[in-house]
Formats: sequence, C-alpha cells, structure tokens
Amino acid sequence: MLRCIIVGYGFLGKRLARLIASGALGGVKLVGIASSKGYIYKEDGFLLSDLPDDLQSSSMLRLAPASELINKRIADLLVELTPTNIRDGEPGLSHIRLALEQGMDVVTANKGPIALAYEELMELAEETGAMLLHEATVGGGIPLISLKNRCLAADELLSIRGILNGTTNYILSRMHFEGMTLDLALKEAQMLGIAERDPTLDLEGVDTALKLVILANSLMSMKKRLSDVKIKGITKITSEAIMAAKESGMTIKLIGIADENGLRVAPKLVRLNDPICVHGTLNAVSFNFRILGRLTIIGEGAGESTVSALINDIHEVVKTRMRSNRI
Amino acid sequence: MRVKLTLALSDRPGVLLRALEQIAVNGGNIISIIHRRDSITSGYVPVSINVEFPDSASLERAKRGIEASGIPVIEAETLEKAICTILLIGAVKIEDLLRRVHELGSRVAEVSMTGGLTSPCIKAVIEAPSGKLGTLLASLERFADEHGALLITEW
Repeated sequence: MLRCIIVGYGFLGKRLARLIASGALGGVKLVGIASSKGYIYKEDGFLLSDLPDDLQSSSMLRLAPASELINKRIADLLVELTPTNIRDGEPGLSHIRLALEQGMDVVTANKGPIALAYEELMELAEETGAMLLHEATVGGGIPLISLKNRCLAADELLSIRGILNGTTNYILSRMHFEGMTLDLALKEAQMLGIAERDPTLDLEGVDTALKLVILANSLMSMKKRLSDVKIKGITKITSEAIMAAKESGMTIKLIGIADENGLRVAPKLVRLNDPICVHGTLNAVSFNFRILGRLTIIGEGAGESTVSALINDIHEVVKTRMRSNRI
Repeated sequence: MRVKLTLALSDRPGVLLRALEQIAVNGGNIISIIHRRDSITSGYVPVSINVEFPDSASLERAKRGIEASGIPVIEAETLEKAICTILLIGAVKIEDLLRRVHELGSRVAEVSMTGGLTSPCIKAVIEAPSGKLGTLLASLERFADEHGALLITEW
C-alpha cells in the first residue's frame, strides 16, 4: 500500500481525504493530514470515521508545521494542496522540496511552486528518483499534461492557445449573453462562489499567465518565468465592446498563447464557431502539434473536477511504484 | 497566391519568352504583363508580370529559374491582403486610427464607433499586405498604449 500524506486541508484536501479514507482509491492509505493549524497522523491509516471537519477539532492535533509531518518519513507520497502564492511559492515550495529530497513522490495542485521553480524541482526529483506530478495545477480535471506526455509524447507541440481561467470566462460569457457590465457580472460570480473576494489575479490575467508558464515549461520544454509573460487582463472590457464583437460573429475571451513568439495573455476576439469558444466556467485548450495538427480539449477547469486530476496522478504513482516493487 | 514580379529585361527579342517559360513550368498562371518602357535604364526595360502561383515554393522555383536564365528579378510582391477585425476600447479618434493604418501601408475597409463618450469603442476591419499583418498589429498596439486604450485583435 502506498502511504500518503495530504498537506492543505481545504476544499480539495477534504474531498481527497474522504476518497482515500473510504477506500475508493485502490492501493493507497492516508497516514497524515496537515494544515496551517498543525497536523494529525495515524500510521495504520485513517478511516472515513476518523476524518475531522477541521484539524482544530481533532484530539490528535499537533501544533507543529507540516514540515515536521513530512520529516517523520511515514509516507511514500506527499499531496501538496496549500494555497497558491505567486510571490515565492511558499509554503508549498518548501514542502515539495523537502519531500523530493527524501525521495518521496509528490502530487500537487499548487500552481506557485510549479510555475516558479519547475526546472529546479524536476531536477531534484530526477536526482532522488522521486515522481513529481502536477496535472491538477492547470485546467482542473482536463488531462492536458498527461495527454501530451503520455499519449502524444513523440509528437512535437508547436503552440498552445486557450481559455485557462473559468472565472473570467464566466464573466465574459455573462457580458456576451446578457449584456451585463463587467462589474455586475463579477458581483454575480462572487455571489455564486465562482470569483474570489479579491478577484485581481483572475481579472488581471495573472492566473492564466501562471498556468501558461506551467504548460510551456512542462509540455514545450521552455524555460519561462511569470515575468516573461506579456499580460493584459479584462478590466477594461466594456459591454459595448462585447456587443461590437457579437455583431461580427465573434466575442471577447481571455486567451493565453504560447508559441515561437513567446508567452502572452490578452483579451482576444474569438469567432463564435472557433472550437475554443466555450462559455460559462469551462476551459478550452487548443494544441497545435507538428504531425497531429490541431487538437482542442474542453472541460471544467476548477472545483470538483480538479479532484479527478489528483486521483489520476496518485493512480499513476501507485501503478509505477507497484511495477517497480517499491510498495 | 497572387504575385507581382518585376523583372529587368534587356531590350532584345525572345528575352521575355525565357522568363514566361520559367513561370509556366512552375505552375504560374499569368494574369497581366506591363512593359514600363517609360522607365528604361541602361538598356533594361522593367516589366511587371502579375502571376497566380499555386504556392510560395513554386514562386521560389520560378524566381530561381528566371535568374538562372540571366534575367534579374527586381521585386516579387505578394498582392494578397490579410484581413483582420480589431476593437479599440478607449478615447481614440477615428481619424487618428485611419491615419496610422494608412502610414503603415494598409487600409481600413470598415469602421464604426459605439459607446458614445462614456465608453467609446472603435471596431475596424483592416486590410494589410500579406505578411505585414504582424508588424501592423504590433504598431497598432503601441498606438493604443499611446492613447491609453486597449487593442483587441483576432490573433
């Protein structure tokens, strides 16, 4: 059995913990959970009934940082789910480094460390023979990274163009279909829990840029940083501009592009019959491969669907380690 | 693709035929031929030939063939236009946009304005010489920045 610890006990962490503790994921047991409040652990594995709603309410809580749990060496796999920090990637970056240094496999949904230190972390993983999988960092449950790296590894990816942020896509869709102003569509998105209380990173295009950096580095072997991306957000988009686009059979979408001219994020005119022209919170990514040509993939880019990406990465670790008799 | 080839022909019988043969064997369909006898220099007559080629590779082969037969190719200008719709959000005068597009060797085929004074938005359809659209859009991006406006393009 693969022994797993989860660091970050929010929406994703709780759902994943329940899935593992209920036995829905074969070959894995959950032996530790950490949050910013402390950590709990149980070496023979948590059952569903053991899982607390919040770590503070657990009698097993140890008031110590997650690094202490990682250093206990009771697990084979770290699932790192702390919130994204775009300044320095912390605390996720330190958690991932610590695990990889010990040869512990890592699965993460945390964009910060992967966008800021991809090359360093992959080199570290290679040195210690650990696996570092991060499908859940981009496009929620849409298998973008495994699609290229497992199904199309021999073909060359020439460019990426896509909608990578569900929040801005929801806002622009409401402006397109209902003629709403940006402010009104944003307020609606916040009421529905689609937009955060501080939506700056989404609206300014920074979230899309982070995901673009991750895709470019991991799928196109680029060595890009967030500062290499030319970013324009959607804050200046007016309902009049959307209507003008609509009259010409188009709409405005926030698009991330990676190609031979570099990385950029900007609002673009997109034809309504373009395969990437999806609405609501959907994401759509169009890859252009040297031999295959264009391939477009569409799906929910956040929320519950991200759990799908996490469990598939965990499954990949289990499969690989069982094959090499490490578990 | 439609191309205007400008050749420097020596003013002797049979020279033009050699050039036309190279165009024909490479799949070029000749649309028109104009002798610019008013521009003869040093015994050479500039001749402009409008040709439809199947692709850029056949154009390149024809150019190499013409030059190999001793006829200099002065210019090969692609006549096709790239068309792009743009939006400019912000306080920009239409005449300033038209002037900038014209300065860049392109033309505005359609233009309209919405949003009034409160949230102005210009929509324009621009025709640029094929291969020059990227330069035009980069220049329009600077134009938008100068005016504190946001440029939205198709590509």
